[in-house]
Amino acid sequence: MTPETAVVQALNGISFGALLFILAAGLSLIFGMMDVVNLAHGAFYMLGAYITLTVVQRTGQFWLALVLAPLLIGALGLVIEPLLLRRLRGRHLDQVLLTIGVSLVIADLVGLTWGREIRSISFPAGLDHAITILGGDYPVYRLFVIAFGGLLAVVLAVVHRRTRVGALIRAGVDDAPMLAALGVDIDRLFATTFAVGAALAGLAGVIAAPVFGIYPGMDVDYLIYSLVVVVVGGLGTLSGAVAGSALIGPADTFGKVLVPQFALALIFAVMALVLLLRPTGLLGRIRIAR
Amino acid sequence: MDENKDAARRAYRLTRRRFLAASSAAALAACAPAATPGPGGASVAPTATPGPPLKIGMLLPFTKVYAELGNSMQRATKLYLKQKGEALANRPVTVVYEDEANDPVVGAQKTQKFIDSDRVDLMMGIVATPIAYAVRNAIDSAKLIFIETNAGGNALTRTTTNCTPSCKSKYIFRTSFSSYQISYPIGEYFATQMGVKEVFTFVADYGFGNESAADFTSGFTKGGGKITGSLKAPLGSADFLPYVTQIKAQNTKDIYSFFSGTDAINYIKAWTQLGMPAAGYKMNGAGFLTEQDVLKEVKDQANGATTSLFWAVTLDNAENKAFVDAYQKEYTLLPDVFAVQAWDGMQAVDLALQAVKGDTNNKDAFIAALENVKFKSPRGDFEFDKETHNPIQDIYIREVKVQSGQAVNTIVGKVARVTDPGK
Repeated sequence: MTPETAVVQALNGISFGALLFILAAGLSLIFGMMDVVNLAHGAFYMLGAYITLTVVQRTGQFWLALVLAPLLIGALGLVIEPLLLRRLRGRHLDQVLLTIGVSLVIADLVGLTWGREIRSISFPAGLDHAITILGGDYPVYRLFVIAFGGLLAVVLAVVHRRTRVGALIRAGVDDAPMLAALGVDIDRLFATTFAVGAALAGLAGVIAAPVFGIYPGMDVDYLIYSLVVVVVGGLGTLSGAVAGSALIGPADTFGKVLVPQFALALIFAVMALVLLLRPTGLLGRIRIAR
Repeated sequence: MDENKDAARRAYRLTRRRFLAASSAAALAACAPAATPGPGGASVAPTATPGPPLKIGMLLPFTKVYAELGNSMQRATKLYLKQKGEALANRPVTVVYEDEANDPVVGAQKTQKFIDSDRVDLMMGIVATPIAYAVRNAIDSAKLIFIETNAGGNALTRTTTNCTPSCKSKYIFRTSFSSYQISYPIGEYFATQMGVKEVFTFVADYGFGNESAADFTSGFTKGGGKITGSLKAPLGSADFLPYVTQIKAQNTKDIYSFFSGTDAINYIKAWTQLGMPAAGYKMNGAGFLTEQDVLKEVKDQANGATTSLFWAVTLDNAENKAFVDAYQKEYTLLPDVFAVQAWDGMQAVDLALQAVKGDTNNKDAFIAALENVKFKSPRGDFEFDKETHNPIQDIYIREVKVQSGQAVNTIVGKVARVTDPGK
């Protein structure tokens, strides 16, 4: 591999990682707060992509979809948490099973509403061209994905560390019952967390739609990626999601290029290795059992 | 220490949780098709003196990634039967649709259901090659006539050592293609007719993609060409940019590819994004790379791609015009190649039934009648190779062009009467 190619592949890997971060951040947030692996996360992601398809078809406005899809899916999360998940609070396994049910229902409803054909949308105007990097064309949209992922990480970190909501989330992750005992409305906090996590999945769906296509089965494909990222990075922490995606994105890209026969298995091999050496993930915290 | 124990327990809890989640998902997936049978069902129309009903078991994907292919084949089947007054050779037809869910295990169960409880007179369908391979022995031992309407794995109509991974059966006919037919002729054509000297191959890393690359390579090298390198991507590779970056880092300009569906779309988009056409690279492949499902999404981005297939919607013959018109009138959408395959399956069955006056009990006579079927298909002249039961058909070399704002495959060449070399 020439140095130029290596640099371009590194960019490819980082942009894939940035997308994985947007996707995994919500999953990690929900797990950290509610101790629920939300297996409907992929379905929210899928819904985000399909909403983008409709918005772009109707209005031609990708940026409208970027605002609208997370809002709609966040609202859906705001309904699902109190209506379904709350009834099973404390029964983590049952909650996980419930999220599988939700994901199957969403996937089938998406199929009914939008059909089962494979779809694709164009890159948004202004980001559909290429710029020259090291003598070769490189798509601007991929650079946008990197910038967007980076920005989102900064925003989430600031919210997490510097705001009251962030303090509540951190407290909730540490000890939710104690937080409730202190008079915080834990129901509202959980519902909000779930909604924000769902909205982040929807946001990832919007960003990914022009690159990875829109098709039945995309929910499962990307749920697996996001699970790998949060398990590798460390469950329930923002920095874990950053670390996981920063490792898995480039690992997937260079794996495809350097050991193509092993491309699919490589990220799982990385996951196995990380779990052997650090069972809580790269930046996972050892938590006090309740 | 305690903390570590807790960590270990946590990890264990997590795996158990995920295991349960995964296994219950699998269980649900296994149950789902049974709970939601494919659309359709009985449809009987009276004729003057109707013969005994004819029951056809149609095994198609109605869920998962190939659902739209199944829908397309079902549309063609229904259209054919509607045109024939829901009867073939004076026997009112009942079609039992089942969902194979792109899963060999489900496919095998549904095939057994056709054999044991539905007791169908003949079976048709199956999109994915692994499913066709998985049910081959059950069909053969049940002496059930089966018309394969898509899966193109070479072994299904060939004699192979120990029947691995599959082999031909006197009860199995195919109205689609073998992967040899859509890959070898274009290889030879490139070397001998288009003067291409060197090709780099980039295909999906699974049975069918590998077969296609191997067949293309033997056709191309036989014609005097040279393969300079190859690359493979797993099926369902999300990100194609790394692969296209690698292709751009080597100097052979002509690329041969086998991808379909979402992979084809993502590949073509990554191709344009990296400015491959401007850098002088040319995309080529087996026809599914630029079929309608892909073209309508990538629009002009596949412009100039050369591919081979036994049909194109623009094919200029009376049967194709009639078929495309009727299909468009019924469903207000263009037919795709999968619809043609199912349509020809119905045509072959129809003509063979007429030849035996509707008698499906004498299997040998019915098989002989199918072997002798010859008709004008939307793809051109259609007949089965009596040796293998694979179709003998013309292969068209097609180039993607934008005509009045729509990207279509235009015919630029033809390799006549391609027969699979299987025995």
